[in-house]
Amino acid sequence: MRSTRRRALLALSVPVLVTAVALSGCTSGSSSSSSGSKDLLTLGMTQDINGWDPSNQPSYQNYPGMAIWDTLIRCDKLGKPLPGLATDWKISDDQRTISATLRSGQKFSDGEAADSAAVRATFEYAATQGAGSARYKGLKVDAPDATHVSLTWPAANPLIVLNTCNVAISSPKTISSKDFSKPVGSGPYILDKSHTTQGSVYTFTKNDKYWDSKTYPYKKLVVKVIASDTAALSALKTGQLDGSLITTATVNQAKSSNLKLQTLKSNETTRLLITDHLGKTIPALGNVDVRRAMNMVFDKKAVADKLYLGNAAPAYQIFKPGSDAYIADMKDPYPYDVDKAKALMKSAGFENGFTLTIPVIANTGVDKLLPYVTQQLGLINIKVEQQPLSGPNMYNELLGGKYPVPLWPLGNYGESLQDIYDYVLTGGIWNVSHQDDATIDGLWQKITTTSGSERKQAEQDVNKYITDQAWFVPMAYPDGFFAYSSKITVKPASDYAGLNPLLRDFQ
Amino acid sequence: MLTMSILKKLARAIAVFLVVTFVTFCMMFGNGAGIARGVLGLDAQPSDVQKEVVKLGLDQPLLVQYGKWLLGVVTGNLGQSYFTGQSVNEALASRVPVTLSLVIATLILTLVLSVAIGVTAAIFGGWIDRVVQFFTVLGAAVPAFIIAVGLVFAFAIALPLFPATGYVALSDDPTAWLHSIALPVIALLIGSVASAAAQIRGAVLDVQGRDFVRTLRARGIPEGPLLFRHVLRSASGPGLTVLSLQTIALLGGAVFVEQIFALPGIGQLANTSAQQGDVPIVMGIVLVTIVFVLVVNLLGDLANAALNPKARTR
Repeated sequence: MRSTRRRALLALSVPVLVTAVALSGCTSGSSSSSSGSKDLLTLGMTQDINGWDPSNQPSYQNYPGMAIWDTLIRCDKLGKPLPGLATDWKISDDQRTISATLRSGQKFSDGEAADSAAVRATFEYAATQGAGSARYKGLKVDAPDATHVSLTWPAANPLIVLNTCNVAISSPKTISSKDFSKPVGSGPYILDKSHTTQGSVYTFTKNDKYWDSKTYPYKKLVVKVIASDTAALSALKTGQLDGSLITTATVNQAKSSNLKLQTLKSNETTRLLITDHLGKTIPALGNVDVRRAMNMVFDKKAVADKLYLGNAAPAYQIFKPGSDAYIADMKDPYPYDVDKAKALMKSAGFENGFTLTIPVIANTGVDKLLPYVTQQLGLINIKVEQQPLSGPNMYNELLGGKYPVPLWPLGNYGESLQDIYDYVLTGGIWNVSHQDDATIDGLWQKITTTSGSERKQAEQDVNKYITDQAWFVPMAYPDGFFAYSSKITVKPASDYAGLNPLLRDFQ
Repeated sequence: MLTMSILKKLARAIAVFLVVTFVTFCMMFGNGAGIARGVLGLDAQPSDVQKEVVKLGLDQPLLVQYGKWLLGVVTGNLGQSYFTGQSVNEALASRVPVTLSLVIATLILTLVLSVAIGVTAAIFGGWIDRVVQFFTVLGAAVPAFIIAVGLVFAFAIALPLFPATGYVALSDDPTAWLHSIALPVIALLIGSVASAAAQIRGAVLDVQGRDFVRTLRARGIPEGPLLFRHVLRSASGPGLTVLSLQTIALLGGAVFVEQIFALPGIGQLANTSAQQGDVPIVMGIVLVTIVFVLVVNLLGDLANAALNPKARTR
């Protein structure tokens, strides 16, 4: 019996051994290719692009877009203009027209000239397609010759520089055919389709004929879509990536590894947006003392130190430090004082509080903040109810005005006009209740008709007004992190939204 | 008889396919404005959103949209992604092989290892059985993604033997392909082998205790032929059932493992597409998944019928 068992064991062990040998064979190959030389730059991005339609490109870590397309002008980190396809430009005093002179000899990857006709076709397409088309409604484009072009808006446009530097100049032939299966641009790189798998890996080769090719030293660029924070960190540690955004969840591991970090300061503000200033949905919110009391129950330093584990700074205003609307010497207008907040609620006649429904979308950071927000608002008898949102309609619901006090870490722009446009104006996308306010309308009018220090003062007046009226409950400026290999050099991010280093920052 | 049985199973498979795809379609239906806004961007104007809804055909009745999709299945044109414009066929062609590489490799290794381990434990009993039982419980209890994280740390970062992330196609470089799937497959394999081995051990023990095995042993049939010709054959039914269920579970496990290893399989695509409401891509993935599950079940039934005569009459 014993010998028959031994024979059976021998028979059974054969497949196990075969498997073991097969697996051990796997160890003989080399690991991933090492990158980091001037020949190759490999970057990660945490979400994919939406194909190659130039009118539908993400504004966040869009390395493929930066590689393919040039822009008429570039924006610096404060949203001020720099040369692009245009060598020089002039903005009219009435803030309606930008006239540009283009450099000659630039070509698209399909051989067509990147000239004024292309600029015209691109902006005319932008006026009819994509999310930003409203910004270009009524735009008139004049192209008197191949190297001169002017863009004229129907009314004064304080965002004229941002609205010009955000548009990817595309080939007229591609635009008219609407065949966006492959990208055609005149930017610093050309897509290598044979080494590209959409949604996973994008490979580019350098366009030596690009006017600013010296700013892009790498001969080959590979961009990998890696959605998982853990996977991105593993790829960085093993040299499969040269750089990628990471989050606070992995930043300590990155610090303890042989990786460099660029901290992206103040690129967003965590805030409650109290948009029902007139109290139409929740009457109590129409009382400024209630809104001020809501500000006073949050210990901003504790939020930065405890909730963000020190990877944040306390925020007392919504604007990015250094931007025109930011008031450098502003002290905390609503210091943490629960007793005073209670007294304000009582004097306003809302001592018994009210119920507030706050929408929550998973993995946005809001879910982690909400227990603290619920607890603190509970101190002044404001009962917070969570409303989870998911699926394709979640942003429609979030921005539809049903929930007048969203909690959201919103981006800050180096050009604070964009913040005012998105978060403060009646039509602003994040001013979800869209209620009119004569003071803001007047200040915006002043902004559209002035420039320089006068405009800056008007922007700061907006800041003072919304702070005094407690339209927001700013809590913290969380840090963003870009981790990269010590083999490469990354200049401070020149992105005016400060969300990530741009392709031109990799040296 | 066997042909009739196969035809019945095919008819049942088609019915399952229609029910599952229609239910999925119903769940995705009614999000037209949200999808259009997702395509255009958050700051799209309501009038542009409405135009996009019409352009994508999301304003049409449910049955019309589903009918068009079914027609596409028959003609081999599954449409295009709402968000990237990529054809669904192209997206699936690049993604499905990645997931199938993981699932099929894991399945083959599960078959080999679980039979070996399960039978060894059942035959030898004693300390071998106790060790196997301990590890099968442990292996089944630890989720694949935890194992994946541990494997990356141990064999990609601390000991750089395998790539931490990424996938190489089999057609590009077979060695690199094996290299790229080794850790993900091991991550999936541990739980899969643990579950299957425990079931196979139980099935073999059950068969060994039956009268016909005692009779055969009494007639002097040696242990080897008794095990391979009689015991394993009779125990194959429960084993095959477990393996076909494991295959379906592996598809689910692959979704998480793909994320840890940044593998461009259908898991990552399914997750993003379902969140966005990219109906053509979601339906393409559902189609592939259903066909795969139905084929595996059919093969399981056929294998069972081939090994076990009693199963042919069911």
